[in-house]
Amino acid sequence: MAADIVDDGPAAGPGEHLAGRHVLLTGATGFLGQATLEKLLSTYPDTHVSVLIRPRGSMTGAERLTKLLRKPVFRKWREAVGSDEVERVAAQRVTVIEGDLGTVAELPADLDVVIHGASTVSFDPPIDEAFDTNVAGVVQLYETLAASGADPHVVHVSTAYVAGVRKGVVTEASLTHDVDWRAEAAAAAAARAQVETASRRPEVLRKVMAEARSEHRKAGPQAVVESAEPARIEWVNKRLVDYGRTRAQSLGWPDVYTLTKALGERAAEQMWAQTGHRLSIVRPAIVESSLRYPYPGWIDGFKMADPLIIAYGRGILPEFPGLPDSVLDLIPVDLVVNAILAVAAAPPEPREPGYYHVSSGARNPLPFRGMYENVHAYFSRHPMPDSERGHIQVPSWQFPGSTQVERMLKTGERAVELAQRTLMRVPASDRTRTWMRSLHRRQQDLEVLRTYADLYQSYTQAEVIYDDSRTRALHESLPPQRRLVHGFDAAEIDWEHYLQEVHFPGVTASMRAFSSRPRAKSGGDAALPQRTDVAAVFDLEGTVVASNTVEQYIWVRLAAIPRSQWPRELTDLLRSLPRYLLAERRDRGDFIRTFMRRYEGVDEEQLRKLIDETLGEALLQRAMPEAIRRIRQHRAAGHRTVLITGTIDVLVEPIAPLFDEVVAGRMHSRDGVWTGYLDSPPLVDEARAAWLRRYAESTGVDLAQSYAYGDSYSDRAWLELAGKPNAVNPDPALYRHAKRKHWRVQNWGQHTRSRLEALAVTGSSEVNR
Amino acid sequence: MSRPGFVLTVDERTPPLLVHQGEGFRLERLPLGSRVIYPPDSLKGVRNVDAEIQHALLNPLGIEPLPELLYPNMRLTIVFDDLSLPLPQMQTPDIRQRVIEHVLELAAAKGVDDVELIVANALHRRMTPAEIKRVVGERVFRSFFPEHLRNHDAEDRANLVEIGKTKHGEVVELNRRAMESDLIVYVNITTTPMSGGPKSVSVGLASYRSLRHHHNVHTLRHSRSFNDPPNSAMHHSYERMADLIGGHVKVFTIETSLNNDTFPTATSFLNKREWEWNVADQASYLAVKRGNELMPARARRKVWQKNVAPYAVTGVNAGLPSEVHPVTLDNVHRQQVTEVQGQADVAIFGLPYICPYNVNSIMNPILVMSLGLGYFFNLYKNRPIVRKGGAAIFYHPVEHEFHPVHHPSYIDFFDEVLTQSTDPVVLETKYEEQFATDPWYIQLYRKSYAYHGVHPFYMWYWGAHALEHLGEVIFVGGNRRTTARMGFKAASTLADALEIASHTVGRSPSITYQHAPPLVVADVR
Repeated sequence: MAADIVDDGPAAGPGEHLAGRHVLLTGATGFLGQATLEKLLSTYPDTHVSVLIRPRGSMTGAERLTKLLRKPVFRKWREAVGSDEVERVAAQRVTVIEGDLGTVAELPADLDVVIHGASTVSFDPPIDEAFDTNVAGVVQLYETLAASGADPHVVHVSTAYVAGVRKGVVTEASLTHDVDWRAEAAAAAAARAQVETASRRPEVLRKVMAEARSEHRKAGPQAVVESAEPARIEWVNKRLVDYGRTRAQSLGWPDVYTLTKALGERAAEQMWAQTGHRLSIVRPAIVESSLRYPYPGWIDGFKMADPLIIAYGRGILPEFPGLPDSVLDLIPVDLVVNAILAVAAAPPEPREPGYYHVSSGARNPLPFRGMYENVHAYFSRHPMPDSERGHIQVPSWQFPGSTQVERMLKTGERAVELAQRTLMRVPASDRTRTWMRSLHRRQQDLEVLRTYADLYQSYTQAEVIYDDSRTRALHESLPPQRRLVHGFDAAEIDWEHYLQEVHFPGVTASMRAFSSRPRAKSGGDAALPQRTDVAAVFDLEGTVVASNTVEQYIWVRLAAIPRSQWPRELTDLLRSLPRYLLAERRDRGDFIRTFMRRYEGVDEEQLRKLIDETLGEALLQRAMPEAIRRIRQHRAAGHRTVLITGTIDVLVEPIAPLFDEVVAGRMHSRDGVWTGYLDSPPLVDEARAAWLRRYAESTGVDLAQSYAYGDSYSDRAWLELAGKPNAVNPDPALYRHAKRKHWRVQNWGQHTRSRLEALAVTGSSEVNR
Repeated sequence: MSRPGFVLTVDERTPPLLVHQGEGFRLERLPLGSRVIYPPDSLKGVRNVDAEIQHALLNPLGIEPLPELLYPNMRLTIVFDDLSLPLPQMQTPDIRQRVIEHVLELAAAKGVDDVELIVANALHRRMTPAEIKRVVGERVFRSFFPEHLRNHDAEDRANLVEIGKTKHGEVVELNRRAMESDLIVYVNITTTPMSGGPKSVSVGLASYRSLRHHHNVHTLRHSRSFNDPPNSAMHHSYERMADLIGGHVKVFTIETSLNNDTFPTATSFLNKREWEWNVADQASYLAVKRGNELMPARARRKVWQKNVAPYAVTGVNAGLPSEVHPVTLDNVHRQQVTEVQGQADVAIFGLPYICPYNVNSIMNPILVMSLGLGYFFNLYKNRPIVRKGGAAIFYHPVEHEFHPVHHPSYIDFFDEVLTQSTDPVVLETKYEEQFATDPWYIQLYRKSYAYHGVHPFYMWYWGAHALEHLGEVIFVGGNRRTTARMGFKAASTLADALEIASHTVGRSPSITYQHAPPLVVADVR
């Protein structure tokens, strides 16, 4: 293959086609736009280029152009001529028009050619966004052009898939449909308002609330609300996506992207061609990495088929709903650019728009099976690294048909959902966390598969051929010496070479670099900074000690009564258990309130003695040494250590000296005997957050630099307040949250004694000796 | 007269030999020519223990008979050895109970009202009420606990008193009640030559300020061995302190010694020499070993910890500590000393499930180190059984487990200090003070059942002499992570261990296996 194409021979006659012309390029920062701009700048020395670039963030359009010129697409050219030359050319030959199609005030009046390449890149955007870019944008372009008084030849870049859902050969001609694009655009624009209104109906809100509650109730009412509103917004978006896709399908297009591109074409025909101007419509198929220019394999980001290729290489596509004999119409980007520029230089007659398919399916078809074979061969030869565990093995496809694949997907999804629901209900342990992790991965894989299967189904099952005879004729009209550099004959693509030597290495390069990176070691905790304006806040149960309210109660009871009375006490406790469980499900505070009633009649002085003698030891048996070490480290670093717990203060006395502040429940007592009522409401979930906020304000603690340690999803609210939250032996819900938010997950309690051992200690109290 | 100790040379006819390995044991075939040191057979116990006690109390050495020392309105303090002795715990009644009951009877007869009993636990963990009750017996416990029967608290400043400094400038700070008594009666069990005598009061009732003078790297490196008092710098320090105490308060000591019946009848094969096992022994070996392996870890520990020894008492002697102790040592030597000719290149020790600091608890890696390189290595007189620069091979799983209540500072010591250094001198100079004065550890020592914060350091110093002497330390069956953390090596079999050791001692080293427990002190000539 000739790789020295950059070197234009004198015979090539650079620029003779667009020499002296003024070209406007829209969508210059896109994949196709970048390549077109590069080609214009590097091989059309006498062409002036205007680019329409919208300022983004703090960057002006001009600055974005400067940044654009440093991208890989310009590398070869930059190497060949030097950076100074690139800047000189840019300054001299490129005019940046700040703004986008909607906002630009006016366009130059001396335009000869407009290459309109701006479009949305997503297949499944919400309906209003799709129409906004692909239809409204087009309308604005032509309105502004008309207003500028220029009469350029417009090259309107569309897509071959505007043909919609059909079989057989599609010719290069105006689309045959009678959809009223103005009516559709108006409906799409109105859709958002409707959906927004609908989303506020009580039926919808109730459902959203119910879901939020079932997932976040443990974390507190505020957390429920906080997740309900984003859920509603997501509902709106999903609904609008659904609007788009369904509307497209009802009109005969696979998705809203192709629908809007089709309507955009119609708008162009009506607003430009039919008003007496010159219009060419270029319809590329699936544009992929370049075959030769600027260098083989150049690609900017992932294009349509690439996520599929990567997903296959990662081994997560066990099957795919594609027809083995359907044609996957790929076309390298440099061929598309050449075709666009050739079309630009060969304007049709006014009112007679020209149509060009830039595709490979007609004369050099790549069947889906062929694609699979190439992908399989490539990844078998160059498997993707599997972090530090060797390489990933890729699956072999049987092409069982879409029904079969769909069934497989559904079963998988159901199994994962069921497993997840089960896991959220079982007690947290190291093992369940491992299961959670693998399940999470499996779910992600399934989601990827589902997305691709839905999105690409119409492309991988297409039994359609895009006739490209006009494009071929144009290619053949090029002088032979121009063809090498400026040609666009799809028949010359050697698929095996292109895919395996050019394209796949291009798209997998970044993934490879990513996954062969050594994994970050999840080493120990960093040393704590020495400072006095931060706090380290600890939850008690499950975080500092492995025991819970019920266990502590059992100690207190069993230590206080002789062995002979144990069975009665335990049966009574068992009988009440369902009541407590219900309360716990309802509300953590409710549970504590209900359960603490059991302490009615306890003599506080006696209890203190018991704690000194045996209960304190039981608590320490169940303490997590790592937690205690951590608390002490915080202390040594000057941090304020805070314990927040719903347990009664007397019971935490054995570990109270570790903390500067202990916030615990207090039993109401009369004459030193507990009445079974709490002195104040138990401090749970968001009440703790509120307390912590006030504590920080009154003590001047910097929460953003503070540490928080909790084990349950009900701790979420106050863990989030601290800048350094830690999930200690988290329950599944908190674990999921911690993973999402990249919190530290601590696994403590290696040397903690078992429940029975702690119980044995309390059983040896004075009454039982 | 029972059979004396014996050194076996392994030949073709030698059966595989028993090796202790934590909560388990195995039969190991040693290389031909290896030498195995066995203790003398268990001595016969005294026939009538009560009569022996009575006799000792009435015919003490170097001091008036006990009744003559007792009078009304006096302050009498009875101090006794804590849970670390004997190992394993002895069948009840404990010998301490018997002695204490005799002493209390005499005191009652003399109208002594002000009696206090104190556990000489120094910086060890407090004994639980149940443990105290087991040692002193129901009657004494009911009468005195908790007001007049308590653990010594080395961090209770109000109940400590500094009685002076030795001529080497060593601070002697001890339990105030004991020091301000008219008489201390010390009830002792001596199971190794290191304990008893001057150690009893000066160590058992001391504080950290006092203990640091002999529990340090320098002293321990110059105690060769600490089981041979005349050659032990540590004991020289004890003696200086005991002299000071003797000038301050009257101490009447009762020392007892036990025989080597370490294991109960069901496992009596553990007390025998392997070639003398009969069919019943062999069967019970197989049954016990298999049963032991089948048990879940927790149950296995429980069973081992429940094991109590049917020790017989070989002597009861009372009087002035300096007069009594040589007699006691003589008894201990009679039971434990075996003479060995020359040092070997490689020493082998099978470490059992228990050491002085894990009674009713867990043997953590630091304790394994102190048991192996401290206690077992130092079971010698004159010279270590292994030459300088030689290799020591220990059998123990060295599991990564700790008791969070009993050994909290050990966990931090293992994770935070040993990761920085394993050099005793570095640990002593850089970290000891911090652990010793940590208020949380002090609180746990006083209120909970934790060993003092400084205790893991002492465990490490205990091995300081061995660390200096040995060229290689290998644990057969040891957990790789924990042994590596402590700077040792782990091998899966004896053959591998010898392979590793070959870098230090060559391909055909001389080997000596110190066959214990039952304990044996090697007198290396």
